[in-house]
Amino acid sequence: MNIRYIYLFVLALGFLACDEDDNILPEEVILPELTTGSADFSNYVAVGASFTAGFTDGALFIAAQGNSFPNILSKEFAKVGGGDFTQPLMNDNFGGLAAGGNRLPGFNPRLVFGGAGPVPLESVIGPVIVTTDIVLNNPTGPFKNLGVPGAKSFHLLFDGYGNPGNLATATANPYFVRIASSPTTTVLADAMAQSPTFFTLSEIGGNDVLGYATSGGDGSNLITPVDGPPGVGFNESFGAIVTTLTSGGAKGAVTTVPYVTDLPHFTTVPNNALVLDAATAGQLTGFFQAVAGIFTQVLIGQMVPPAQAQALASQYAIPFNAGANRWIIDVPATPNNPLGFRQMTADELLVLTIDQSALAQGYGSVALTPEVLQVLGILQTGGTPTPQQGALVIAAVNGIDDGDALDSDELDEIKTATDAYNATIAAVANANDNLALVDLNAILTEISSMGINFDGFNLNADLVTGGAVGLDGIHLTARGYALMANKFLEAIDSAFGSNFIESGNIAKANDYPTNYSPTLQ
Amino acid sequence: MKTILSILLLLFCGLSYSQTTISGSVVDDNNLPLPGANIIIVGTSTGVVTDYDGNFSLTTNQDPPFSVQASSIGFETATLEVTSNNQTLTFVLKEGTSLDEVVISASRTPERIFESPVTVERFGLKEIKNTASADFYDGLENLKGVDINTNSLTFKSINTRGFATFANTRFMQLVDGMDNAAPALNFPLGNLLGMIETDVQSVELLPGAASALYGANAFNGILFMRSKSPFDFSGISAYYKQGMTSQEAAGNNDYKDYGIRAAHKFSNKFAAKVNFSYLQGTDWVANDTRGKDRTTTFVENNSTRENDIDYDGVNVYGDIATINIKTVADRLADLGRLPNPALANLVPSVNVSRTGYNEADLTDYDAKSIKADWGLYFRPWENDFEIQYVGKIGSGSTVYQGSNRYSIKNFFLQQHKLEIKNDNFFVRGYITADNAGDSYDMVFTGVNVNRKWKSDEVWFGEYTAAFIGGTLGGLNANEAHANARQAADTGRYEPGSPEFQSAFNTVINDPDVLTGSKFRDESKIYHSDANYNFSHLTDFADIQVGGSYRKYVLNSFGSIYTDKLEEIPYSEVGLYTQLQKKFLEDDRLKLTASIRYDKSELFDAFFSPRVSLGYNLGEDNNHNLRASFQTGFRNPDTQALYIGFNVGSIILLGSAPDNPERDLRTVSGDGISTIGQSIIGSSFNYDGTGAYNNSFTRTSVAAFAASKNPVDLKIANPGIVKPEQVSSYEVGYRGKLDRVIIDFSAYLNQYQDFITTVDVVNPYYGDVQLTQTIPVGGTPTPLALIALANSDFQAYRAYTNTTADVNSYGAALGVTTKIFGSYDLGMNYTYTKLDFDRDANPDFQTNFNTPEHKVKASFGNTNLFKNFGFNVAWRWSDDYVWEASFATSNVPAYHVMDAQINLRVPSLKSTFKAGASNLLADEYFTAVGTGLIGSQYYISWTINNL
Repeated sequence: MNIRYIYLFVLALGFLACDEDDNILPEEVILPELTTGSADFSNYVAVGASFTAGFTDGALFIAAQGNSFPNILSKEFAKVGGGDFTQPLMNDNFGGLAAGGNRLPGFNPRLVFGGAGPVPLESVIGPVIVTTDIVLNNPTGPFKNLGVPGAKSFHLLFDGYGNPGNLATATANPYFVRIASSPTTTVLADAMAQSPTFFTLSEIGGNDVLGYATSGGDGSNLITPVDGPPGVGFNESFGAIVTTLTSGGAKGAVTTVPYVTDLPHFTTVPNNALVLDAATAGQLTGFFQAVAGIFTQVLIGQMVPPAQAQALASQYAIPFNAGANRWIIDVPATPNNPLGFRQMTADELLVLTIDQSALAQGYGSVALTPEVLQVLGILQTGGTPTPQQGALVIAAVNGIDDGDALDSDELDEIKTATDAYNATIAAVANANDNLALVDLNAILTEISSMGINFDGFNLNADLVTGGAVGLDGIHLTARGYALMANKFLEAIDSAFGSNFIESGNIAKANDYPTNYSPTLQ
Repeated sequence: MKTILSILLLLFCGLSYSQTTISGSVVDDNNLPLPGANIIIVGTSTGVVTDYDGNFSLTTNQDPPFSVQASSIGFETATLEVTSNNQTLTFVLKEGTSLDEVVISASRTPERIFESPVTVERFGLKEIKNTASADFYDGLENLKGVDINTNSLTFKSINTRGFATFANTRFMQLVDGMDNAAPALNFPLGNLLGMIETDVQSVELLPGAASALYGANAFNGILFMRSKSPFDFSGISAYYKQGMTSQEAAGNNDYKDYGIRAAHKFSNKFAAKVNFSYLQGTDWVANDTRGKDRTTTFVENNSTRENDIDYDGVNVYGDIATINIKTVADRLADLGRLPNPALANLVPSVNVSRTGYNEADLTDYDAKSIKADWGLYFRPWENDFEIQYVGKIGSGSTVYQGSNRYSIKNFFLQQHKLEIKNDNFFVRGYITADNAGDSYDMVFTGVNVNRKWKSDEVWFGEYTAAFIGGTLGGLNANEAHANARQAADTGRYEPGSPEFQSAFNTVINDPDVLTGSKFRDESKIYHSDANYNFSHLTDFADIQVGGSYRKYVLNSFGSIYTDKLEEIPYSEVGLYTQLQKKFLEDDRLKLTASIRYDKSELFDAFFSPRVSLGYNLGEDNNHNLRASFQTGFRNPDTQALYIGFNVGSIILLGSAPDNPERDLRTVSGDGISTIGQSIIGSSFNYDGTGAYNNSFTRTSVAAFAASKNPVDLKIANPGIVKPEQVSSYEVGYRGKLDRVIIDFSAYLNQYQDFITTVDVVNPYYGDVQLTQTIPVGGTPTPLALIALANSDFQAYRAYTNTTADVNSYGAALGVTTKIFGSYDLGMNYTYTKLDFDRDANPDFQTNFNTPEHKVKASFGNTNLFKNFGFNVAWRWSDDYVWEASFATSNVPAYHVMDAQINLRVPSLKSTFKAGASNLLADEYFTAVGTGLIGSQYYISWTINNL
């Protein structure tokens, strides 16, 4: 072999060896590896109320539980050593609860989209048998998801909350009865029994104001006081729960309480949906002038000086215009508002569950009977009605009941309590390095004001079309819960040094629905 | 010099009175006959060429004694004495080297490669005979510095020194002096209007600028093909090739290729020839279903129809129709077509594309090439003065990839040339005319078959409504998208169904881009050239002058150019002169200087000079050093000047001064947003001027879309296109070291005003300086921002020049030798490098498209044993990025091996050959978007000069 051939061969090798890259193509975006940070996700327990449970569309059911935010979180945690996340799955996809074969009142199957808005499932597919029975088929725990729909802060510390004997007095919660490890346990105790290494404590304080709000502040469901010992007042109950949960060295994430009155349950039915034509507006204006006139006479008859009587009664001469007018609501009678009704102010709210057909028939304005019209006729012709006839007119005012509306005083109470709770939650979270704070209030405020962009979807707080809040107007949709889970991951990343967000280990909007089909069983 | 002389003398035909007849044969040092060798009587112009068996017979009026010289390309010349009439001579020619071969292109005059002032490659009869590729044109790929980009089985695009898409307007191809670029496209269509193998005399290739002699298009390189004169080569030759193409996507398909050459010398005054060839096969099926980014054309490896709602598959057509379904939902809400307008909020702000058709459903992949040419050659005085008429046609079917992919069906190209020449001058004029036949754009076929079935408006409306319905019905968004696509696609024309076929036939016969895809073209080029060589008149130096005139008449009926209303004519004229002088002892130093003047009616005149020096070193003049400097320039090609073509997502727009205003478009209905309609109405007419005087760069608009910060916007307003210039420096060395031949060259090209495209966005309303505003929510908001935010704009790919520095440099080294006795071994290496700051100029595409490293090698023996030869060729290409408006992605490194064996049967004047290209069957591609190149196996039978 001639030396020259070797040279050629070496030359060829040289060509092949000098291959440097000069690529104009964009570098492929390689997300960083997922890192755990300082938290230990091996044993994650979720403590909370309905959001934690996955409650949506007015019920809890298997599919919804699959999309609960703790379950979504657990899938991400599983990538960093998280174990199985056992949820107390319901028996069906109808939702609702039964006890010994009988439906529990108030625990009905879910709502579905009925073409225009939310309707009960059974109005679409006919009667169903609720199979989740708190007497017959309770699942056995322990459960990692201890979200108990309806639970208030102090309920988590109450050792009779899962006692079936207390159902009669409504001091127990059938959802907890269903999953409690014993009649005398507490939600917190069941959580601690599992020695969690990581926990979420979500929407505590929510039901403490929500019950009041959904009942229109009618007094049947009071706001939890801020002060008072654990088991009574919010601040100390919350403090006690956190202290206990972190006592074993666990880290966790807590949330603030949203302004529940921003939710579509309270914002969907407009307070000015009294739409009138000019003639009807004139008629109603005339009616309320009549009310004012009659009441002036009544006051004068009660020896109130005429000028004063007129001044007091003039508030009832409510003017109506062609177009949209705000409703009339009943309020507690006071010396300044002796008849106990007025027109709603701009900020006041109606609940979603108000009877729409009643509104169409005078609920919120006047129930005009032939008798009342007859009295009005007398007035129009310059006649003077009798006191009985006058009383008939005043009684025809058909204001919206307290339970269907949130007036400005009630709204103030709710806001004051919410702000106080949130101040406490923020203070507790900030004082404790083991806690990440998820500002659920800020998130829902953003959703209800401008909307949040989630993977191209605009999630806002409109009922049905907003995509964030389910058909009951209070609880989130699966897509909303996915967003919430991502917000948890964000807070966890920033508090404990993990990188779920940066590494792309997050929930994707596209994987979650906003509705559940009526045919889902 | 003797070789040159002999070739020159060959053209002479002396007058004869008395008669001396000699005969004999020419053989090589292996005693094998040498066909085609030149026999000449020294000191006269009398000569003949040996026949297939190396025999010759010559009659002269000269009386003995005289000398007869035999020469053949690649062999050293030999001389014998004739002393008597009817003497029999046997010449034994010693094999020379490739450097002794004669080229005429480098200086427009014959010279040995060894002394050529610039780099030149030659592919002659021997190479054609030995190439392992399926035909000679493919075989050019084995030359150093040469890249072949494979469009399709029959359309291969040759390039040198980078900057090539298939629309290689920087490279020129001349066949017997005729530029065979298609008039409409302004670049050569491979060998589709080319030569048939049996008629090829030689192929020469000049890499690098040759504008000084060959004008504007010879900018990056030029390929010369010369056919055999019927005076020198008469008789009948034919070949038949039968084989198989094998590709995973297309399977195994037969192909056949046959041709015949018939030439006859009727007398010393008149000769004629006819060539015909026919090739039929199946093209490489292009089935790259990866998605691509619509804006950048970057291929995205993870995008599929299943996982990407806005999928735009590389070889899937119809899916360029895309829209943001949120805007559709808003429009449906505005029009009251949703039960509740708020339902629009359930629709995400994402783009969705229509479902396309695979390329394979839109073409039959017939590959066909029919070529014919004929020539009449008249030498009225039986000397070097010759009058020729040559006619040439090319037709067939192929696939062309430009901005889109085209099925070129029954195209018809024709050329007619009239030439008068002698050894010192030529004057020629020719016309090239094309007719696109039944060609169609496959991308728009997909788009418009879809539209024929269901308009975009309806399809996207149905999609959006079904998406909302699915969401309300409980589907997650992935399922809702799938459901929506299924709903909108219900009743879609399935490929193969009669409805599909009927829509397909309608669309490909309809030239309106909005409804059809037919590609119409009947453009023409008129060209004339003249050259006079004064070397026989002047002693102090060899001087040549010449000139050319060219007129383009574009006539695409508006399907490519803005010539919807009338043809677009324009013309160019050029003049050049060259001076060549040799100095020193043995003429060791050779100086060549040339200069060319060019003037296009659209642009100022340019002068492009070239100076080169060659110097022979060594005792035997065995080493040659050369250096040259030249400037070249390139007038913008017809596309850069006059295109006005909507490829769907963007309009390609040329910028001859009057072109943008001729690109008239109308947008209406859903093409304008609701807010836009309140500003410009529901139907809006615009022309292309906005691309050049009121536009943002497309990348800045993308940045703005992400950031919503107007500061990110950059005004584009590109200048209209003007000629591009190159300054080219080249040095080279050629040497013979014992039996090793080395040819090395290195060059640096510096481009000025590099012609490129820039992607710009022209808002339908509002100025890009953002001075025109309207109040929105109380604050004055620039109209242009509103237009961008509402997709009320037109994107253009505007032809312009970049002020950025574009440089390229490279080198090529070739080594050939004989080893183990008679085995030929050749290796070459080509280095090519672009020097361009892409980060600073993100909107410019340079289309460099060339690997940095390329290695080629060949090994063979023409006479392994009696009458039997073989050759193996191997090529390796580094990976590189293919950047083009159709698709941009990485082209992985590949290596390819071709091989052939051949057997000569002298009694039948035949050669039988069996060969295979891509023998290793590793499919590869040279350009993104084309079919993978599979293997080609063939056997052939060639009969020479029966």
